[in-house]
Amino acid sequence: MFKPSVLAMILAGGRVDELGVLTFYRPKSAVPFGGFARVIDFALSNLMWSGIELVAILSQYRSFSLINHIGTGAAWDMIGRYRGVSILPPFKGLESSDWYKGSADAVYQNLDFVRYHAPAQILILSGDHVYQMDYREMIRYHREKEADLTAAFIEVDPAQAHRFGVGEIDFENDRFGRLTRYEEKPARPQGNLASLTILCFRPEVLYEMLEENQKQQSFEFGRDIIPMMMERKLKVYGYKYSGYWGYTRTVGEYWKTSMDLLGRDPKIDMEKWGLRTNLDHRDIRDCQPLKIGSGAVLDNSMVYNGCHVDGTVKNSILFPGVRIEEGAEVSDSVLFFNNTVQSGTRITRTVSDVNTIFGPGCRIGGPMSEGERKGITVIGWNNQVPEGMVVGRNCTVYPRLAAEKWPAEAIGDGEVLR
Amino acid sequence: MIGSKDALVLILAGGVGSRLNILVGHRAKPAVPFAGLYRIIDFSLSNVMNSGLTKVGVLTQYKPLSLMRHIGGGEAWDFTGRTRGVKILPPRTGEKESDWYRGTADAIRQNIDFIEANPSRETLVLSGDHIYHMDFDAMIEFHRHKKADVTIGMMVVPKSQIHQFGAGIVDDENKVIDWEEKPSVPRTNLASMGIYVFDTRYLLRALALDRNEHDFGMHIVPRAIVQDRVYAYPFYGYWRDVGTIQSYWEANMDVIREGSGISPQEWGIRPNVSADGRPMDRAPARFLSGCQVQSSMISAGSVIEGTVINSILSPGVRVEQGAVVRDSVIFEDAVIEQGALVDLAICDKRVRVGKNAVVGFGDNKDIPNKKHPTHLYTGITLIGKEAAVPAGMKIGRNCTVGPQQRGSEYSDLFLRDGDSL
Repeated sequence: MFKPSVLAMILAGGRVDELGVLTFYRPKSAVPFGGFARVIDFALSNLMWSGIELVAILSQYRSFSLINHIGTGAAWDMIGRYRGVSILPPFKGLESSDWYKGSADAVYQNLDFVRYHAPAQILILSGDHVYQMDYREMIRYHREKEADLTAAFIEVDPAQAHRFGVGEIDFENDRFGRLTRYEEKPARPQGNLASLTILCFRPEVLYEMLEENQKQQSFEFGRDIIPMMMERKLKVYGYKYSGYWGYTRTVGEYWKTSMDLLGRDPKIDMEKWGLRTNLDHRDIRDCQPLKIGSGAVLDNSMVYNGCHVDGTVKNSILFPGVRIEEGAEVSDSVLFFNNTVQSGTRITRTVSDVNTIFGPGCRIGGPMSEGERKGITVIGWNNQVPEGMVVGRNCTVYPRLAAEKWPAEAIGDGEVLR
Repeated sequence: MIGSKDALVLILAGGVGSRLNILVGHRAKPAVPFAGLYRIIDFSLSNVMNSGLTKVGVLTQYKPLSLMRHIGGGEAWDFTGRTRGVKILPPRTGEKESDWYRGTADAIRQNIDFIEANPSRETLVLSGDHIYHMDFDAMIEFHRHKKADVTIGMMVVPKSQIHQFGAGIVDDENKVIDWEEKPSVPRTNLASMGIYVFDTRYLLRALALDRNEHDFGMHIVPRAIVQDRVYAYPFYGYWRDVGTIQSYWEANMDVIREGSGISPQEWGIRPNVSADGRPMDRAPARFLSGCQVQSSMISAGSVIEGTVINSILSPGVRVEQGAVVRDSVIFEDAVIEQGALVDLAICDKRVRVGKNAVVGFGDNKDIPNKKHPTHLYTGITLIGKEAAVPAGMKIGRNCTVGPQQRGSEYSDLFLRDGDSL
């Protein structure tokens, strides 16, 4: 049995404002996705199928849900003599105590952990992307080139490139080459290769860069570390990935990536991918099969065990424990665990967080108006939506609202109820 | 768990259950899949767990591998821990001869060392092949309250069915005063469920009396009624011995039917979804455009493009476009190809029904299976594990297709009502 040579570190701590109420109580990486899983399961499953089973997860924002989800790591086979998954929260030191000031600082603060494992390569990943990749191909190339850093990129719509780290690769074949330029979120991007935040480092170089970076004011891999390495003309290589890449940074993107799961030949076939999740989290292993009533209609949808559908479900994803009563209709929506939609209620283009009960006769969300990109309504968790309530499109409802916070009849398009 | 009765539980899981025909061709009856995600023994194991009992022995004998894999370390039912545990107890070679279990009492007798090694005040003896929900903690409380030597779980059944059971006649205090094992002319409608609470010391004494007494219902209980304190613990609710194909199918259909009184999830029944060969992280079931699904239970990993009515699908079943599944029970990873019809059938794991094939052809359900007329006589057709029904083939009613039958082995594309392959 060889000791593993690759240490993977997943950046899972952050929350993003754009995901709004979905990340009030959990980090981005722990947001439910795909009707039974969490976003971070994609990174963890990729690692498992790549045979990388020594993993650290850097987490600081509301880690409870994430810690629950990771459990012992057994779900991804990351348990054993030389296999394991460690969650690394911020900590108080002898001299200093600090929250992680950025992704690079998070790794820096845990360098004792990294050095203890003495890896040959350090693979830094983001915990909130939806994609399937065997990291071994990239690591093999990294070793061959004796690179200091190899980073993965994907072609994106040039109009969207300004939101990412944008690189330029001098290709030596159709996938790999020297990275010749890198800009983090450039105002006027020169190319359309966006960084996937999949970074394979030579450890000694990473240690040095992180040490250097501590003198600066900003502590991010994309904004600070990669540009510093480019500036010093270190051996930085790029790998062009050409599979599916889904990101979930805004509610609109979350919704769109979810919809990519549907259809006859979905862009993401989780079953084929071998996506693994922790079935002990929320005890979803104990759910009975989905129960479908005599008048139910199901069309182009995904529904997990433990649901009970008597109404109509179209173009939607239902997590375990969702109940759709007779005469209720859900379309183009994602309902997280244990939502109940009572009779006569219609839900359209909505993402609803866990444990919300929609009273009878409600109208939630609405069709997209012309030229609009977003328009998704989000309902925070543990809400009781009163009978007959109308919530327009593009609305946000805060979690756990008291009964008196609800207006008498309606919430207009685009409004926020808090 | 603090506060539990600390009784030792022994689950009898060795029976062949031969009337389940090819469903028990390669697995013991308690390991037969049920209601999509479960196996029959999950009901007994979960009842034990939910009653707060933590020490369990499972007595196996017939084709135990599937059962052993399913039980594993017992994590699924929380039987792992400092004082918890579930142990498999297979027959062993004794001093004199190789002793197979010759009956319920004999099986327990051969594990007296296990009973002695796990000191307990009461011993609960259960059958591993019943579908029910019961609080054994309350039963043990009843047993103590009555200061009984033996307490038997009993329920009222129609008189027409009493010939299948041990029947007890009780007095006003629920003390059993007379006993008939499988009586042809019933005097009572109170039937034994095969659930016994024994005072452990009493059990050890009773087993030591006569080594030729192999069976609880036939030998141990009748004598105890004459000599000792035997009580009936009344059970009201859903209980089925799914020992026949018809009763197995009916119990599955009960899970779909509203108001039938059975609900695995509400009962707290836990499956062990990790135990089945491949990891069970199946994606949610997918319902494609044009599908029609009514009054059914569908498990994760299934993909439905055709029609499913009044049926139960285990994980990973594919029903392709134009295919129809009706009144049927389909086990894991079976594929019903385009245009095929499966009507009133039970398809075992990884069965493949080819394009436009028909399983359950015609309207005549009255010709019983020729080989096993007592197993199949209500119209249900069985397709064995990993069998492939060739495209266009028609299989009648009350038929069986053996495990792993392949297309090349069929001489004809028509299997008449009551025939077997």
